[in-house]
Amino acid sequence: MSWWVQLLSCFAASICFSLMLNQPRRTIFLSAVVATVGYGLFLLLRQTTMAYFIATMFIAVACETLARCMKKVTTLFLTSSLIPLVPGIGLYRTMRYIVEGDYSQALNVGIAAIMGICAIALAITFSSVIFSNIPHRKRKAEKPC
Amino acid sequence: MESFDITLDAVCLASRIILESGGETYRAEETVEKMCQGLHIPHVEVLALPTGLMLTLMKEDGASVSRIVRVRSRSTDLKRVDDCNAVSRRVAAGQMDAGEALERLREIHCAPALRLPWMVPVGALSAASFTLMLGGGWLDFCVSFVCGAVVQLALPVLSRRRMPGMLGGLVVGFLITLITMVSTLFSSAINIEPIISGAVMPMLPGLATTNAIRDTIRGDLVSGGARFTEAVLTAVMLAAGICIMLSMWGGMGL
Repeated sequence: MSWWVQLLSCFAASICFSLMLNQPRRTIFLSAVVATVGYGLFLLLRQTTMAYFIATMFIAVACETLARCMKKVTTLFLTSSLIPLVPGIGLYRTMRYIVEGDYSQALNVGIAAIMGICAIALAITFSSVIFSNIPHRKRKAEKPC
Repeated sequence: MESFDITLDAVCLASRIILESGGETYRAEETVEKMCQGLHIPHVEVLALPTGLMLTLMKEDGASVSRIVRVRSRSTDLKRVDDCNAVSRRVAAGQMDAGEALERLREIHCAPALRLPWMVPVGALSAASFTLMLGGGWLDFCVSFVCGAVVQLALPVLSRRRMPGMLGGLVVGFLITLITMVSTLFSSAINIEPIISGAVMPMLPGLATTNAIRDTIRGDLVSGGARFTEAVLTAVMLAAGICIMLSMWGGMGL
């Protein structure tokens, strides 16, 4: 499957998913763009655990910045931007190996998927800690105005 | 003290909407505190949990009033969170008084949720696009579209039958796998893997996990833990549904 089909379908999937969550109309396009670029980055970095971390870091920082600029809640952008990165296929393979009784393969694939989820969680944690430290400086700077 | 009651109502409703629509618990607490600042309440203590909310407001004469709000239904509706956030911002900035805020919040609370004719095509298209993204072909796209539509049709039925949210996941996983397996009878060109994982994607507890992480970072350990348990259980139930169907199908020897 060529990469542009994957990116296009990622964009469409993200838009549909945000429509399912009743995301405010103005934010849908932007979060789909963030999702597509993030997923492209993830594919470019060959889908390793580090790729999960870097792509999520990019998405989270972009979402926090967008939320600040548009004075919206971060969760609005983050939810539908992150969804393409969730290791769905890894989780499915783990289940299939368990059903087939091939536990060593299940462990291999399952640990890779769980590491991916942990990397995503870690990246969200980092960016959210970084951004929760920024507004104090901004507010102080705004006061004299 | 009539205006005080209105303030209390408005504050309770705002945090209730946030908790019911999938906002983080710290956001519900922050909203209450910000609104109270804007409405000149001298002191407020609030504790929000995914399943309820407790708050105590102090009046100007020193007496305090407490209220408990129980949150029974939880779903995801980001527009409500956004609208509610806009109201609380305006109240905090002193641009809106308690009465106006209460009226606006009631409108938000009563606004109709997304309806079935909207959810079915959108859910189906989202499942189908995920399948394509995960490396499926156009035939897989069509099968996944059917899976997504059936899931969206099944979800309201399940919730009407008072099926607990977790068990609903089991049925959903079961249905998706069943449809995929039946479709393989008609064509050998179908890839099972991208269809099932793509159709399950929109059901995965992405928002719950994100909120769990964000709550835990803020130090809301109880809410973070509760949401994390919810996310893990939802995922496990989906997985169990898929597993049961896969092994049943394998057992039939088809």
